[in-house]
Amino acid sequence: MYKIVILLLLALSLRAESDYELGKGVQVASLPLYLGGYFSLDYRHMDEQERYRLDDLALLGYGSYEKFSYMAEFEYKSFYVQTKTPQNDRLEKDTTLHTERLYLDYNYDDNCVLRIGKYNSPIGFWNLLPVNVLRQTTSSPVSTDIIFPKFTTGLGGSYTSYGEGELHLELMAQNNEDLDNKYNNYKIDEHYGVNVLYEKDEYALKVNAGYFHKIDTINEPDNLYYYLLSAKYDTEKYQFLAELGSQYSEEKTTTPYAGYIQGLYRFTEQHIGSIRVESYEDRIINEQDEIAIVAYTYRPLYPVAIKSEYQFHSLSSQNQFLFSFSVLF
Amino acid sequence: MKKTHQILLPLLFISLPAIAGEYAVVSNQNMKDLTLIEIKAIFLKKITLIDDVKIVPINLEARDDLRLKFEEKVLNMSFSRLKTYWTKEHYLGHRPPISMKSQESIKAFINNVDGSIGYVNIENVEQNMKIIYKWSD
Repeated sequence: MYKIVILLLLALSLRAESDYELGKGVQVASLPLYLGGYFSLDYRHMDEQERYRLDDLALLGYGSYEKFSYMAEFEYKSFYVQTKTPQNDRLEKDTTLHTERLYLDYNYDDNCVLRIGKYNSPIGFWNLLPVNVLRQTTSSPVSTDIIFPKFTTGLGGSYTSYGEGELHLELMAQNNEDLDNKYNNYKIDEHYGVNVLYEKDEYALKVNAGYFHKIDTINEPDNLYYYLLSAKYDTEKYQFLAELGSQYSEEKTTTPYAGYIQGLYRFTEQHIGSIRVESYEDRIINEQDEIAIVAYTYRPLYPVAIKSEYQFHSLSSQNQFLFSFSVLF
Repeated sequence: MKKTHQILLPLLFISLPAIAGEYAVVSNQNMKDLTLIEIKAIFLKKITLIDDVKIVPINLEARDDLRLKFEEKVLNMSFSRLKTYWTKEHYLGHRPPISMKSQESIKAFINNVDGSIGYVNIENVEQNMKIIYKWSD
């Protein structure tokens, strides 16, 4: 039934918008509802494995009315995954429509916004724009996956003030299960976090710290604390981005460090090169790795990305080539 | 000939400031004073309320000369960087400011809608408008 509703809304909105531009979404009639979406196709080649994937097939809906605004995002994750190894050829399809984000914001006053629902945890810079078409490389840094919960389901509140620069304080609070806990890197029932961002001209600095409680764990610490420090320098031609964090429990350090530094150069609006160096130690799975990534992105239009990258790992069996095609509409 | 140069060259430099365009970010008289960083935040839709009034930033159309000047001098962002910014904001659920075809439309909108803010050539500023910020070529 929901598929019929979605198709109807899309048809209605495409009829309404004659000056549609890719990456801008469409308004449904004159309602406070904009629709958009994105998808990603990717290919991965490793020594003994090849993978073809249709990932992130997502629909976005959002709008605002008076002091309220909302966002809904539903997504097919790993919709089609074909993996080939010398031993076998495997095909997996996940046709469950997941709830990636679903929240309501209320602009309390000039400086404060309150939020309820499921949202991207505002931790670091990468985690706020995690979809393939918007990020710089097909892959995401390991540190964005092993330190903090990517999503929070609960309450949020932020305070922003403008002086010489922009100061932004934000709190996250979850004391219930995830709205769709299959769609999170950790299954959690508690998360409390704080985010402090200072931005001036081309510079932005961010400090995050928090606590979360994992469920469904066996022989692993379930009360975990984390912190993440992030910095960004962004100009017309260059961008430097760095994030470094750690995770620990009361008994032991689970991830002593995980971080990356990435440099990006825009040769032209369409051609972008980037280099990323990563390092991490994960004591839960007992793995330590250093990674160097060289990547190139071609954007015929900004909302269309054709990307390739090669990853050199200190664990050489993990060396890989990635290629992807992604679109935001 | 040499004498003519000696007379004309200084005249040319004196006349340059006169031909440089002057522009203003304007609103109605109810708007409070704003800093440059707040104006930027309004046009990037980071500030949406001021004194509990909904703020409505208004742009000229995409390739309008004055809009490009405003984006370069006030927002300090190129056309392509702004396109990138609004594509990312689409994913975050935010829309770019509304666009109008002419400075006349912007003036009419500002006169009628509390909280609206736009930019015009300085000679188009009317008495009932408040100049929030001025810049020149």
